[in-house]
Amino acid sequence: MATLAPAPEPHIAQEGRRVLFRPGLVLKLVVLAILVVLIVGPMMGTVLSTLTPTAITAWSDVLVGRLAPNLFWWPLVNTMVIGVVCGVVCVLLGGFLAWAVVMTNIPFRMTIGVMATLPFMIPSFATALAWGGLFKNDRIGGDVGWLQGMGIDIPDWLAWGMVPTLVVLILHYFSLAFTIIAASLATVNSDLVEAAQIAGAKGRKILMGIILPVTTPALIAAGSLCFAGAVSNFAAPALLGLPVRMQTLSTRLFGMIEVGQTARGFVIGILLVLISALFLWLGNRAVSGRRSYATITGKGGRAKRFDLGTARWPLFAVAALILLCATVVPVIILLASSLAPSSAALFSNWTLHYWIGESTANIAQGTPGIWHNPDILWSTTVTLGLGLCVAFTGMFIGLLASYTTARYRSGWLSASIVQISFLPLLIPGIAFGAAYIAFFGAPIGPLPALYGTFAILVIAGTGYLLPFSVQTGRAVIQQVSGELEESARLTGASFARRMWAITVPLAIRGLAAGGILIFVKIIRDLSLVVLLFTPTMPVMSVLAYRYASEGFTQFAHAITVLILVLSIIATLISNRLQTKSQPWLKA
Amino acid sequence: MTHFKWTLAACLMASTAAAQDLNTMTAEDLLPMAQTEGSVIVYSFTSRIARVEEAFEAAYPGIDMQGFDMSSTEQIARLKAEAQAGTVNADVVYISDAAVVIPELLNAGIIETYVPPRVAGLLDAGETSPLLAQRLSTKVLMYAEDAYPDGAPVDSLWDLTREEWKGRVVMVDPLQRGDYLDLMTEIVLQSDAMAAAYEAEFGMPIDLGGAANAGQKFITDLFANDLILVGSTDDVNAAVGKTGQTNPPIGFTTYSDRRDNEDEGWALQVANDVAPAPGIIFPAVVALATGAKNPAAARLTIDFLMGDDSDTGGDGFKPFYVAGDYATRSDIVPHPDAIPLADFNAWSIDPAKTAAARAAVGDLVLTLQ
Repeated sequence: MATLAPAPEPHIAQEGRRVLFRPGLVLKLVVLAILVVLIVGPMMGTVLSTLTPTAITAWSDVLVGRLAPNLFWWPLVNTMVIGVVCGVVCVLLGGFLAWAVVMTNIPFRMTIGVMATLPFMIPSFATALAWGGLFKNDRIGGDVGWLQGMGIDIPDWLAWGMVPTLVVLILHYFSLAFTIIAASLATVNSDLVEAAQIAGAKGRKILMGIILPVTTPALIAAGSLCFAGAVSNFAAPALLGLPVRMQTLSTRLFGMIEVGQTARGFVIGILLVLISALFLWLGNRAVSGRRSYATITGKGGRAKRFDLGTARWPLFAVAALILLCATVVPVIILLASSLAPSSAALFSNWTLHYWIGESTANIAQGTPGIWHNPDILWSTTVTLGLGLCVAFTGMFIGLLASYTTARYRSGWLSASIVQISFLPLLIPGIAFGAAYIAFFGAPIGPLPALYGTFAILVIAGTGYLLPFSVQTGRAVIQQVSGELEESARLTGASFARRMWAITVPLAIRGLAAGGILIFVKIIRDLSLVVLLFTPTMPVMSVLAYRYASEGFTQFAHAITVLILVLSIIATLISNRLQTKSQPWLKA
Repeated sequence: MTHFKWTLAACLMASTAAAQDLNTMTAEDLLPMAQTEGSVIVYSFTSRIARVEEAFEAAYPGIDMQGFDMSSTEQIARLKAEAQAGTVNADVVYISDAAVVIPELLNAGIIETYVPPRVAGLLDAGETSPLLAQRLSTKVLMYAEDAYPDGAPVDSLWDLTREEWKGRVVMVDPLQRGDYLDLMTEIVLQSDAMAAAYEAEFGMPIDLGGAANAGQKFITDLFANDLILVGSTDDVNAAVGKTGQTNPPIGFTTYSDRRDNEDEGWALQVANDVAPAPGIIFPAVVALATGAKNPAAARLTIDFLMGDDSDTGGDGFKPFYVAGDYATRSDIVPHPDAIPLADFNAWSIDPAKTAAARAAVGDLVLTLQ
């Protein structure tokens, strides 16, 4: 051994240095470390808690035995139907609208573009409640929806269960797909399209041959996000599925934790994560397996729009119908029900009491209107602060992660980053919150316990919404041509400088879109913060939830309207500050 | 190290002694200490804490009560998480779901029992130990009295398994709300009474089929009869109680929600004479958080919640002096509009027995969904 050792040594040393300084390794390790703290650590705690001797039987209860069909397998079937249908339809609807707005001369492009981003700002529980306000039939008894009240008999399948759940979730998530696909379409290099036009290609050929392949990463990203969002959504199946006993994995998980069977709940949650991860891995493979299309290059201008010709108005009618159902109707119902004393008569006896009224003993147990609620101003401040902090930290970490995985996409480290950054999507918020309390709740070394602080809300929000920042950033960064950065690198620019001077400005559209998504998502999120917030750190969505659960739906809807208004203002400010964030709105 | 241990032990002993002192003090003695503390945080399972807060701050100026309304299940999750984090946020815990609270909070040392000395003699032994019960709440069968003016449309729980009530019985999913699981559990625990009621209703002994007992058989038949599950008690109230319905459903909900009949346009009434019992009655308990930051104010709050010596319990008990809530204090006179507790037929649950049987009943319900 000793005699042989000296000979290969220089070779090994050389190899060693190259391994150590392989481009991106340090960056990958940094990103991975952040993800471990934010996501893996809390989740490992949850997994370990199901492996203790007392909890381990939960695995067999869930997977085999007499409980398994109702506890796991049927909810799994429902969950997958919801996820797949929602993912596919959202990409079709969102893709259609994005294409129409970005690439065609459809009438009222700007209006459609703004309206299409709105549904995602309406909490899905509000849309589900709105569905009930319209379609609720007499199965349960009590108040019926507006249509049944008008004398139209609503069958059970339209009022309850799978169909309304799908419709509500699609109306909610297609808007997410629109935002991602539109951001990607807007960056399609006009050179490509012009070259095709010069070569004599027609609209359909350009669409199928250039635009679709180039935007495939964004389509897959959009479909994945919609799938993951739909399978872990709790509000819609809980509100619309329960009366016909339709269960999904997330309603099962909630129910199990709710009645104290946390081990079973966590097992269901873990299985939900694993199964969804399998689906998403397949999607991710489809993206990674293909060549990267660098479409933002050093030059290139805006392509001519497709002329829809006689199809302009028919296509506009389709777009308008979609947006009417997804935006206008739910908002009207929300607004009306924040004004109407009885949900039975949504459009009569309107009063502003729930908004500006003083405390009156015989209305809602003396609860004053939300302007007179001392908690509301403070909770609005906390909520806005939370939204801004999480949007900023989320975008920062999302940029790092998406840059790393896009530039250095080979190797298992990169694959791990992609997979881990996706995990939080599949974890129902309430389980994520519980895991965070367990992980960050106790003092770590010299650091104090974070429980009950603003910091834990920000950290949890950042971790929870990382999939959105990473995935939207990734779809855009993959299109920022590496050649620009390479040339800067040759001139000796450091990593930080390259990021700041080249990648960030070029990717800012996607990042800004991601930032808006994050802000909007966190200020209306309920499931994550419901365990993490404390009396001194109230957030608006929790206040709305309190009111709804006490039967004060008017107050709940009033706050929801307020959240909606804040979301819209956020979007407008963001547009103003960063006029390029929605380039598809330009003429 | 040894020195540290002794100091720690001394501190613990001192705090125990101090706590004992606090436990025997009257409200008048607690008040100045509580005012020095300046605030008190209450976790409450009912929104009525907002009105308690108003009354408390009027009665004891200088102490800021922060009432916080969250479901029992959520409180349990939060208190356990806080204990794990080594922080104590709450001072007072006002909660139901005693079957879970006793093993997971009381026995785990997260909360501790405090009985204000002045009311100790006015309560039954079971109402001061293991935890102080402030009042009794219910989950019982109710119907709309405007649609059924001659009284409840059923005279036995077994009626709910008949064809005519198919798809017309409403309750909250027992796998989502602990108190409804307690109701199902009590029906199983009362299998003998259920068997007797079956024979009275159908004129023949019960054929259990595959079920282990009459309670399980009832739950199985009830679910098979297209029982409608909803998400919250208010959903049940609106479905069952809304006035002006023809042939409305009936369902299990809270007796005291009848207090909202006028404001909400409901006609809820309890089916008290249904055999063998209309449902369950269970304690709402109030306890100290172990290691509370405001120990004197916390005790003063519990003292206040137990009401004063007037017939109706005064301002502290006022939000709870409604038909359908039953005071545990023997000197508070029953609410005139409610069925007196002695005539109320609901089963009184035994938290320990319920806790033992609950998981198995939950599993049964799971197989039926």
